[in-house]
Amino acid sequence: MTAPAVETKNLVKVFEKGRRTIWQRLRREPDRRERFRAVDGIDLRVESGEIFGLLGPNGAGKTTTMKMLATLLIPTSGTIRVLGIDPLERPREVRARLGAMLSGERSLYWKLTARENLEYFAALYHVPPTETDQRIAGVLTAVKLTDRAEDYVERYSTGMRQRLALARALLPDPPLIILDEPTVGLDPQASRDLRDRVRELRAQGRTVLLTTHYMEEADQLCDRVAIIDHGRIVALDTPAALKRTIRAEEVVHLEIGVVGDDAPMLDRLGRSATLARSERRNGTLSVTAHCASARDFVPAAFDAARSNGATIRHVEVVPVTLEDVFLALTGRQLRE
Amino acid sequence: MTRIAADARAFIAAARTHLRQQRRYPTYFLGLLFWPVLLPSAWVLMGRAYSGNDPGALAAFAARAGSENVTVFVFVGYAMYMWLSSLLWGPGTILRQEQVRGTLEAVFLTPASRIVPLFAPGVTVLIPMSLSFLVMGGALWLFFGIVPPVAAILRAAVIVVLGVPALYAIGSLFSAAVLRFGEIGPIVQLVRGVFVLACGITFPVAMLPIWAQVGAWILPPTYIVDDIRRVLLRGAGLGELWPNLLTVVLIAAVTAMLAVLVFRYLEASARRSGMLGRF
Repeated sequence: MTAPAVETKNLVKVFEKGRRTIWQRLRREPDRRERFRAVDGIDLRVESGEIFGLLGPNGAGKTTTMKMLATLLIPTSGTIRVLGIDPLERPREVRARLGAMLSGERSLYWKLTARENLEYFAALYHVPPTETDQRIAGVLTAVKLTDRAEDYVERYSTGMRQRLALARALLPDPPLIILDEPTVGLDPQASRDLRDRVRELRAQGRTVLLTTHYMEEADQLCDRVAIIDHGRIVALDTPAALKRTIRAEEVVHLEIGVVGDDAPMLDRLGRSATLARSERRNGTLSVTAHCASARDFVPAAFDAARSNGATIRHVEVVPVTLEDVFLALTGRQLRE
Repeated sequence: MTRIAADARAFIAAARTHLRQQRRYPTYFLGLLFWPVLLPSAWVLMGRAYSGNDPGALAAFAARAGSENVTVFVFVGYAMYMWLSSLLWGPGTILRQEQVRGTLEAVFLTPASRIVPLFAPGVTVLIPMSLSFLVMGGALWLFFGIVPPVAAILRAAVIVVLGVPALYAIGSLFSAAVLRFGEIGPIVQLVRGVFVLACGITFPVAMLPIWAQVGAWILPPTYIVDDIRRVLLRGAGLGELWPNLLTVVLIAAVTAMLAVLVFRYLEASARRSGMLGRF
């Protein structure tokens, strides 16, 4: 059994909320800032050669976890092993073996060309001078930017800059690559393109650990996904297995025009399906129901609405997604 | 390739990268053409207006400054002022720009020694600094008809080279503070002001109260500016200046070590608080 690419045990990162003024510091007043656990006891094991996704809403603790793995943050408690190395004890060794793309396009020098950026980072990554040109040519080819290598980065599109940031992460020829929200801000074509590049990395035998709040991305790209919320992992498995956990074949979204009490109708709907979410706003009740068969549930929903004097205005039947898993586990949507 | 060789290569690459970016904004160099002339010239003309070239006034100045040559005195002082400004502001400003831009985290993700981001940005300051010295020399010659002897200029250049590490180290100390405080401009302004007052930039140190003079002689710029004036105005040789120069080199070594320690401490603090990614 090979060693995991990443392993964390009871990983915790605590930050202070609010600010402590200089006056408070000078007067040596007690620090009354509230502390919150951005990462709250994460146990993670990422196997070599897999694409592993951390899926969760903004502020869930994904980026903080990544930064601790990448040596940019020191954990409050817990242990980390990256490629078998403790990043707290031997951070330089971890950095030498890790390709990281954390701040995307902001992490590049826009006033330099792509090649100049890569030359600089090749030196910082201690790539031997005799290999630098070849390594740069290789990573530019990998991200399909060879023909734009001599252009200033400021003239690139966002997608091209993201690809260049990925190229930079590949410079040390790392066995492990961590990508923080790699497709955020990209158009669908650029996102697809970047995902293809990530799949190629797996095909080369590398391990990829990525964060995303796009459920489709996690579903399509990742071998395994950890769903993270409020700093904790609430579920971890393959996307297919995660979707099976909600025991539904289909998801039905209903919009119902309601006058008066909606409790009896919800009670009746709940007999035919699992109601993952219901929210009433301006006379419209939005319901998300997990059911075995929409063919059976939808007529029953119309009957329930009619008998309660309500009107179904919109019906949408969709397959189960990781969004539904998140909803079932947390009672909230990823976008909330 | 050994780790030291790899870090040396990273250092050169970092310096070249910052120089490249500086070169992409050529208007920056325009300021180096007029400030080194305008600032000291204004003081020289004001000095002449006050004294009216009165021999008594010049003798009083010489008693305090060691020379009647107000022009060279002021130009040397302002050369130090511009040098100080560049080295105090430069490295910290570049590190700050990296922090705001978002590239600092990317640099910290690499295995390169922290000496690279701490000291490499200062290299970008050396070229504009040398350029401003040349412009000042040209202005002395063109506008005031003063050309110091070549041997004295070479000795002054040696003092500059020996003085660079001390000011470089002080600048790096400020750039380390960027990791903790983000914006360090006001602190740099305060320190620059103190240096200008205390180190004999525009007036002789002898004009300060005794307690302030004692303080002035623990600051490297005081030694550097005094030594340059002594070689340019009084023809002093390097042999008689070696105690001063040794002091400057020792202060440089201590300050550089302090900068590295402070940087390491503040980096660890920033890694605990998350300040690396914030600004």
